[in-house]
Amino acid sequence: MSLVFDTNMLIYMLEIIVGGLLVSVGVHFVPVGGAPAAMAQATGIGTGTVTLAAGSGLTGLLSAGLMMSVTDNIWPILATGAVGSMIMMDATMLTGDFIYSYAVGCPYASAKVNYDPITMFPQPPYVAPGTVGQGIPTVCFVSGTIGALLGGVGGAMIYYPCLQIGGNPAQAAIFAIGIFFVQAVIPSWNIQGTIEGFHDPKFKKWPLAFKASLVAGILLAIMTVLIQPLGVV
Amino acid sequence: MDAFGMGICAAAGALAFVAGASEDIDSDIGSQSNPNSQVQLAAQVGNPHRIYNKAIAGEPPSNALWCAVACLMAYVLIEGYHMPLLFAAVAGASLAALFDGVMSISAYLGRSASQARFNQWIYLDIIRYTTPSIMAHVWITSFCITLIAIIQVYVLTPHHPFPIPVIGLIWGITVGAIGSSVGDIHYGGEREFQWRLFGQGLNTMLSGQIVRKAEAGLRNSIDNAWFCAKFGGPCTGLGFGLTVFLDNWRTTVFDPVTQATYAIAMGCFFVLAMNLYNLYMEISARKKYGPYPGYKGDIAA
Repeated sequence: MSLVFDTNMLIYMLEIIVGGLLVSVGVHFVPVGGAPAAMAQATGIGTGTVTLAAGSGLTGLLSAGLMMSVTDNIWPILATGAVGSMIMMDATMLTGDFIYSYAVGCPYASAKVNYDPITMFPQPPYVAPGTVGQGIPTVCFVSGTIGALLGGVGGAMIYYPCLQIGGNPAQAAIFAIGIFFVQAVIPSWNIQGTIEGFHDPKFKKWPLAFKASLVAGILLAIMTVLIQPLGVV
Repeated sequence: MDAFGMGICAAAGALAFVAGASEDIDSDIGSQSNPNSQVQLAAQVGNPHRIYNKAIAGEPPSNALWCAVACLMAYVLIEGYHMPLLFAAVAGASLAALFDGVMSISAYLGRSASQARFNQWIYLDIIRYTTPSIMAHVWITSFCITLIAIIQVYVLTPHHPFPIPVIGLIWGITVGAIGSSVGDIHYGGEREFQWRLFGQGLNTMLSGQIVRKAEAGLRNSIDNAWFCAKFGGPCTGLGFGLTVFLDNWRTTVFDPVTQATYAIAMGCFFVLAMNLYNLYMEISARKKYGPYPGYKGDIAA
């Protein structure tokens, strides 16, 4: 396949950039507590940011890939990617809370706000001494769902042009995974490992990651449209 | 929707349950993920121990490697040599387990040797009887995920367009992410620190003070697997099983070509239901456990 720069190519590049930005912003919504949360020492999910964003976003990518094999319409592809991603994230948060409730035996509490912005439940009396919260309260759960939604749409939006350019699902998927990881790592530096969700003061720093992801997205989009056609035999 | 498709979809969910559980127990025996920070710290604060210490990588990348290796070998055997699907999955999982064995031993030796100045020993008996357990669990995980990938690509309709190594890679990352998020809490939040007050997370002051004595003798990683297999492992399995089953179920029941809207709406319903269930659990936990005694702030519980 020869490389032709036309309007379609610009649209593909735009989709890769916008998809990457959605992933980047979505990561800020995911409540990750890092290693401390695995010891019930901090609020959020007990793992790393990229780990969780990638886990949910790539599950969405699998759903989107399946949908794209039967239709070219972008809307169901994006929607099914988002739903697949949200299912993974919610199943993870729900079963994680099973452990907090029934094994560690603690109520869920956020240490970043005095009252949960959604349920208005008071938080400080339920924060264990010597910790900065534990579990995944409602506001974090909803925030994680929104993050997965954005990550899933972003992943599907990156995969869509990759497949349109190269026509090879395997190659497009690997490209999408690579771009996804880059766009998930950039906000991780911004939030310094842990964040509780949209109510966390660190969330206000998202424009910084947005700018960095925009630059990375442009570079990745250029490389993608240059390299993808080479794999087609 | 046909009965065969539903049966296969349920089988994929069941395989995912087993894969999730074995993945978590593998990470507990090897002390691989987030709670390993405490195991690593223990020797440095004066608590040398007999816990296996194999943080090869984060759980998602390492499981992605095992599953992709297993799926790759299965793919070569199926496509290149026309081997039976089940045999190919067994061969692939065996290769992945060997990879894991090599990396586990080198990780244990390297990490323990680097802590020699803190009086941390390398126990050859621990290597001898813990490594095969780790490899066995990795075998189960990669076998189940290879079978899930095979089901998605060759059996379920519509067939998935990705080749099975890519699906194995993605499910490997996902199962690692879930194991790291769910099962680790049982190991890190409960098992490692059983001597502190029950009903709260780890007080920062107690970092590194892990339990080193077992029900009989000194605690090792097999004891940890015995404990975590009771709840942490099944919960991880439930998380991964729900992800695989619900995601496949909605596209099996509703045809993605003609009923895409229903498939998406059903997914949204699951998401909503899980949000509400979590709210119910939060309210229930707050009522049953109550606020922490000794709280002296202004905000009433």
